[in-house]
Amino acid sequence: MHAPAPVGESAALLESLVERIDVGVFAVDRAGTLVLWNRFMAVHSGKSRADTLGKNLFALFPELPRRWLEKKLESVFVLGNNAFTLWELRPYLFRFPHHRPITGGLDAMRQNVTFLPLRTSGGEVTLVCGTVFDYTDTAMAQDRLHDAIAALSREKEAQGQLIVKLEAAQNQLLQSEKMASIGQLAAGIAHEINNPVGFVNSNLQTLKKYCQQMLGLIAAYQPAEARIDNPAMLAEISRIKQALDIEFLQEDLPALIKESEDGLFRIKKIVEDLKDFSHVNESDWQYADLNAGLDSTLNVVWNEVKYKATVDKNYGQLPAVECLAAQLNQVFMNLIINAVQAIDESRGMGTIALSTGHQDAWVWVEVKDSGQGMSEEVQKRIFEPFFTTKPVGKGTGLGMSVSYNIVQKHHGRIDLDSLPGAGTRFRIWLPVSQRAAAP
Amino acid sequence: MNVEIISDDQRDALQEIVNIGMGQAGASIARVLGEFVELSVPQISAVDADAIPVTLATLAGSGVASAVRQAFLGELRGEAIVIFTEHSASDLAELLSYGNEVDGPASRELLLDISNVLVGACLGGIAELLHAEIGFSAPSLLADQVAPGELVQAETIAARCALLVEVRFGLEKRVFRSHLVMLMPEDAVAALQRALDRFIEEI
Repeated sequence: MHAPAPVGESAALLESLVERIDVGVFAVDRAGTLVLWNRFMAVHSGKSRADTLGKNLFALFPELPRRWLEKKLESVFVLGNNAFTLWELRPYLFRFPHHRPITGGLDAMRQNVTFLPLRTSGGEVTLVCGTVFDYTDTAMAQDRLHDAIAALSREKEAQGQLIVKLEAAQNQLLQSEKMASIGQLAAGIAHEINNPVGFVNSNLQTLKKYCQQMLGLIAAYQPAEARIDNPAMLAEISRIKQALDIEFLQEDLPALIKESEDGLFRIKKIVEDLKDFSHVNESDWQYADLNAGLDSTLNVVWNEVKYKATVDKNYGQLPAVECLAAQLNQVFMNLIINAVQAIDESRGMGTIALSTGHQDAWVWVEVKDSGQGMSEEVQKRIFEPFFTTKPVGKGTGLGMSVSYNIVQKHHGRIDLDSLPGAGTRFRIWLPVSQRAAAP
Repeated sequence: MNVEIISDDQRDALQEIVNIGMGQAGASIARVLGEFVELSVPQISAVDADAIPVTLATLAGSGVASAVRQAFLGELRGEAIVIFTEHSASDLAELLSYGNEVDGPASRELLLDISNVLVGACLGGIAELLHAEIGFSAPSLLADQVAPGELVQAETIAARCALLVEVRFGLEKRVFRSHLVMLMPEDAVAALQRALDRFIEEI
């Protein structure tokens, strides 16, 4: 001590400091008897110096973890080093009421406690002094910080999910834009084909008439042949007839024309289907015949279907349905293509059943195949964007998710039944009128 | 580990002091824990900051490890790190009279308590032999059940190089293996050298 004050005064100052300092200070001897108990401890515990000094710590505070604390004190006595308790791991040593009875907060004061060895002049540790620091405010601030961090990370996670959704939506948008431009292209081509088909058709009709007339004329000449008495002319006619195989020609000519007519009819049909399918000029909601839509879609993809499956149609009577026809056709196409691709070619021709029906304010369109079916795992994920079971390059994994979204937009739903090895059935339910279905 | 921080004489003296200190520490730890403590011969080396994480990871071996750090202050300054490579929480809990349930916070507090005992005994003993006054900060958890490579992050190490004293601890009848590593930054080594020179003169 270098203090100028006399020893007695300095000791009194120190005692006053220990008494008034805003930290809990207490001390016990080896037997656990309290020899120091400052005002902080008295105020918070409700036990005065007189109540505590000379008494056993554990008798006064039976709620203390006795064996553990005795061991801790023992280690300070033996080693002569500090020991600690931290509020993060052990919220408190003494259960003191917290100092926010009005404004609220934690159930009890949070404490950091340091146990200090006190030595006598001989160097032996005779007392252990506990200093109790109030960490309640820190603990509360930390709790708030933890909450804020947790809220932030929740938000971040939600944002991450949103970003994934956004990406999926953008990809779907791209896909539908692609489909729209394919539709536009198809309609353009259809229009361009329509013109030459038109005049070829009208020329063919004229040609057919001319042929019939020419064949009539030849037939009329036939009996006159007997009256020709010029042998050279007769021989020439006979030679030409033979060379032409006139009888076959007379038979074949109408057949050729008929066949060409059929061909032209098919071209016209495909062109019409393409136009129907793309509905280029009909991006608005309107009432459409879904049976016709299903048929024209089937025609567009017929080339994919015809070698792999027979198609059974079982259409019911449908009212006109308020829809985006071009988009629904896209859904039908996805379903039909998937049905075809589900069929195992090595096991011969499969079957695709297209059915439609009507029930109250709803219509349904069903595509059922005799393909390989789907496992439950695949069924669960079938509408996820980018989920595909097809080989690389065959599928984008977007078809079903686009279809799902189109049906959602129509306030409809897709039912799915599938059995591995037996086939799959998709049934799309759509409300006849959007106003009735809109939430 | 080819950093030269202290002279050969100083190193020999340090080795001597650490050996004696650890022997005394072992006895006091045994008194506190009530069990016989196995101690290895302390290894002293100087390491570059870059090499500290690797050195600690090597000590930790394979499997998961936990680590507790505690600063020592005063004439000797640095940080002690206790690496727990293998321990049974319930075994140690018994030694320190924890209750039956050693849950998350209690299991961490247990590591801090064990570290405090080991660090206090060992470093306190060394300081006493060197007649140096030292104090200790409260221990704090550095890593809890992580891969050995993740005990300390290289980028968080402030010192350029450090003097490293390593001792292995074990308890005969318990599942418990740990390493105590005492790290002193280069600039704090001067005080150690003065204390060592004092010790050498006294012999």
